[in-house]
Amino acid sequence: MTKNKISLVDTDIHERVQYRDIVDRLDEPFRHYIENCHWIQEKHMPYTQPSVAGVDRADAILPDGRPAGSDLGFMQEQLLDEIGHEFGILTSALDPSPSSMHGWHEMAAALATAYNDWQIENWLDKDERLYGSVHIAAQDRDEAVKEIERVGSHPKMVQVLLPIDDIMWGEPYYHPIFEAAEKHNLMIGMHHNEPPVYYGKWPRYFIEWHTLIPTAHMKQITSMMFNGVFEKFPNLGLMMIEGGFTFIPHLMWKMDQQFRDLRHEVPWLKRKPSQIMKEQVRFTTQPAEELTKKEFMSLLEQMGTDEMLCFSTDYPHWDYDSPHRALPNMDPELKRKIFSENAKNFYPKLPNPEEG
Amino acid sequence: MREQVVCKKSDIEPGEMKKSTFGKQDVLICRTPDGEFYAFMNQCIHQGAPLDRGMICGATTEESEPGGYEYCHKGEIIRCPWHGREFDIKNEGRMLANPDKKIPSFKVRVEDEDVIVYK
Ligand code: FES
Repeated sequence: MTKNKISLVDTDIHERVQYRDIVDRLDEPFRHYIENCHWIQEKHMPYTQPSVAGVDRADAILPDGRPAGSDLGFMQEQLLDEIGHEFGILTSALDPSPSSMHGWHEMAAALATAYNDWQIENWLDKDERLYGSVHIAAQDRDEAVKEIERVGSHPKMVQVLLPIDDIMWGEPYYHPIFEAAEKHNLMIGMHHNEPPVYYGKWPRYFIEWHTLIPTAHMKQITSMMFNGVFEKFPNLGLMMIEGGFTFIPHLMWKMDQQFRDLRHEVPWLKRKPSQIMKEQVRFTTQPAEELTKKEFMSLLEQMGTDEMLCFSTDYPHWDYDSPHRALPNMDPELKRKIFSENAKNFYPKLPNPEEG
Repeated sequence: MREQVVCKKSDIEPGEMKKSTFGKQDVLICRTPDGEFYAFMNQCIHQGAPLDRGMICGATTEESEPGGYEYCHKGEIIRCPWHGREFDIKNEGRMLANPDKKIPSFKVRVEDEDVIVYK
């Protein structure tokens, strides 16, 4: 099923760790808790799962039964070689998600460190197309900053990954994390976790939860915006991962209108929110709603820029978007931007020959 | 290619499916629990997933009232391995959520042990 290859920077690929893969990298007592006490991160999703194989593409499960996303060779064959990726950015699975853990910050910090080393050794160092995300345990801000200092200068780490969960990331407490990220030319990648919507709880049905994910993304952008993160750290960019993009014009209009009325409260904002978004916030495209070409072009017009969208597949998850089929046809220049240039211009550490 | 033997009857148990080829085309041969055979294009009409990697199953039906599940058509529904869209084998491969759309199908007949797809 080989089709025409397209030049692609895929901004959301989920590689998956199993605890047994990283347990050797953990010191005691953490290792003991996992090996002998069956510790796993608390999980919340109450649904019977949405599709044929849980949250994964049924055809991405490995022939030997290992979970989707856990083997580089298989990912190369099914995704990177098949599509012809130029670059792919790893965003991990949800477990472990150190910043989402409640309590036991020491364990969270140890897991983040083990995960980062595992990611570098098994993925970033093994496939030149793959770039990575720094995991941190943000609850322990100072440890998080240390971890960014430790691995943030790795040439293939392009962002610090923060989950969208029950923390509002604009809070000044977290600003040192943004400072450390900016210092290392890392962007912030933000991906929803569990449960990001419905007042911190789960709605009755998965379809409700999945429909409302963009609302959680909107909350975080709003929090970062009005807490002045983008003004304080002008070289920092925020990549909103897996919330779709059709809400962007609404959020820009809403924030601008609010700003005109209520600027008095947030005098540190020197630019219009929509301007800040255009300059510092980007969005991965998946899960793309099915738009006609006319609808898609009109949406871009409402955004006032075609430089905010960055294509993503979300491989190997069930709601994977095919680079050949997910978005309407577009002219080659626009396609180049959305499928590759926008991401290259956003991540300072991605090779970008055109910038010279 | 006007017709071709795509598999043996005994290759597919009732309620199962299997991929094969018809000329250059990847096809999906389905056998419903009543023993009948059907053939479809083995590519999802949404984003092109290989349907044979999905599952053949039943479906919750629109007779379900809020909060309760009516489940039937067991073995008569193809569910896509990616986004889980459901296609009704016995209703020309129409999508449950949008019956205007259907997976292209092929004619099938059985001669002795041979399952034959033809145009
Ligand atoms: S590709 Fe089959 S449901 Fe999307």
